[in-house]
Amino acid sequence: MTRIDQGLRSLRVGYVPLVDCAPLIAAVRLGFDRRHGLRLDLLRQGSWAAVRDKLLSGELDASHALAGMVYGIETGIGGPRGPMAVLMVLNHNGQSIVLAPAAAQRLRSGMPLREALGVPAHTPALAQTFPTGTHAMWLNYWLAAQVVDPLHEVRAVTLPPPQMPAALARGEIDGYCAGEPWASQAEALGAGARVLRSDQLWPGHPEKVLACRRSFAALEPETATALTAAVLDACRWLDEDPDHRVQAAHWLADGAIDLPAASLGDCLRPGGTAPGDSRLRFHGDGEVNFPWLSDGRWFLHQFRRWGWLPPDASGDDALLAEVHRLDSYRLAALQTGVPLPRGDSRASVLFDGMRWE
Amino acid sequence: MPRILLINDTAKPIGELRTALVAAGHEVFDGIEGPTALLRAVDTHRPDVVILDVDSPSRDTLEQLAMLHRHAPRPVVMFSANDDEQLIRAAVGAGVAAYVVDGLAPSRLRPIIQLALARFEQDAKLRQQLEGVQQQLQDRKAIDQAKGLLMEKRGMSEREAYAALRQQAMRQNLKLAELARRIVSMADLLG
Repeated sequence: MTRIDQGLRSLRVGYVPLVDCAPLIAAVRLGFDRRHGLRLDLLRQGSWAAVRDKLLSGELDASHALAGMVYGIETGIGGPRGPMAVLMVLNHNGQSIVLAPAAAQRLRSGMPLREALGVPAHTPALAQTFPTGTHAMWLNYWLAAQVVDPLHEVRAVTLPPPQMPAALARGEIDGYCAGEPWASQAEALGAGARVLRSDQLWPGHPEKVLACRRSFAALEPETATALTAAVLDACRWLDEDPDHRVQAAHWLADGAIDLPAASLGDCLRPGGTAPGDSRLRFHGDGEVNFPWLSDGRWFLHQFRRWGWLPPDASGDDALLAEVHRLDSYRLAALQTGVPLPRGDSRASVLFDGMRWE
Repeated sequence: MPRILLINDTAKPIGELRTALVAAGHEVFDGIEGPTALLRAVDTHRPDVVILDVDSPSRDTLEQLAMLHRHAPRPVVMFSANDDEQLIRAAVGAGVAAYVVDGLAPSRLRPIIQLALARFEQDAKLRQQLEGVQQQLQDRKAIDQAKGLLMEKRGMSEREAYAALRQQAMRQNLKLAELARRIVSMADLLG
């Protein structure tokens, strides 16, 4: 479609320099935004807190966001509160838990996690990326499943992922959960070892989402649908061909993330040694992108488990129906020819055998 | 006078701000570059206010602190050369952080810090009240459940059940809700 710039609706879209912002970068580089009548201005953000504030203030129309964080803002946990929307999921998997070499070695040799971490004599400092973010939730879930109390037996620290390997090397933290390339980086430096990939914790877990203010999704449904369609096109492109991932790594290295294309390519390359659907995925015929209600419910359930929400869950259905913009996702999927699932929830089995649907 | 931690980890200059704060009589700790230094400085200096740029990579680290230390939180004031007033207004409106635009006249700085502190205390109070209300609701629910159990299993009237609960609570020197919770969980256990 050839349209002059003036005819395109401009949107300011935020991202944090991590490999899973690739769908946004690809959407612009491939002109998918224009195809759907939009012009996306991608704006790099220094922190998730900045993403939140700028979404709430209207300085950003939409953003790459941690899945859990959206529900944290919606319910006002530990910070400002505002009605939020999830337009689609950007990716599944691709995160890791890393421990300092000695603890990782003890864990590998079969020692229970409590003993490997030296709990309770020692209070390990474990880092994640945002208090209500996905990494904090993966870490807490993993600890609790192995009878380490994440609220009282661990010191929770939030750090920007690029600083985690060095903090681990300096002994300021005992481990962390973050996305790639920050686990590989720790291994390359000898600062730590990957003890769990997130796809081992929850195969096909939601990770980053495309989030916006609820008012944006509700008052400009056509624009929200067009944005979803443009990013859906990009997600499909990323999973279409391994060469596309290599191309995306070059684009990311060119201004989006301050790392060489080669190391970004290593993180983006699909497959690897693990079978089938165990690694970073952007599309999976739409299975990745559908904003499953059951995924949102999981985060609310975890927030409640850690005492951040009152026990009464009777409002969850209504909340999820407002936050997850299934209508605009379905329209976008129809426009782009992406298959739609029948239901709006899915069944997942986590590493400790817990079934969630 | 609030103790202030000044974070300098973006390109925006803070020299003027520091001078202004010191001139206004604040105790200022600075030279904090990055999140791990921030964590150490908060431990050591126990500042009342942390000032940092809206685009600082240390912001998420502060979020975690605010979440953990719900009862001894540290207000956050942000400053920015960014003259987007909408963002500043929204941030102040959200009640957690106040944003200070660079190049502010020192005389205007003090009320902003005072405002941030006051707002923070107000938020903490509101949160406490809210928690209190939720606690009361849960207490009432537990008492109702225990009353129901006594009525069902002991054939008591509602008034008798309530009197029996009160008497037992006094005898065991327990809060009524606490006793009710024990009765409910014991009943669960015994089926």
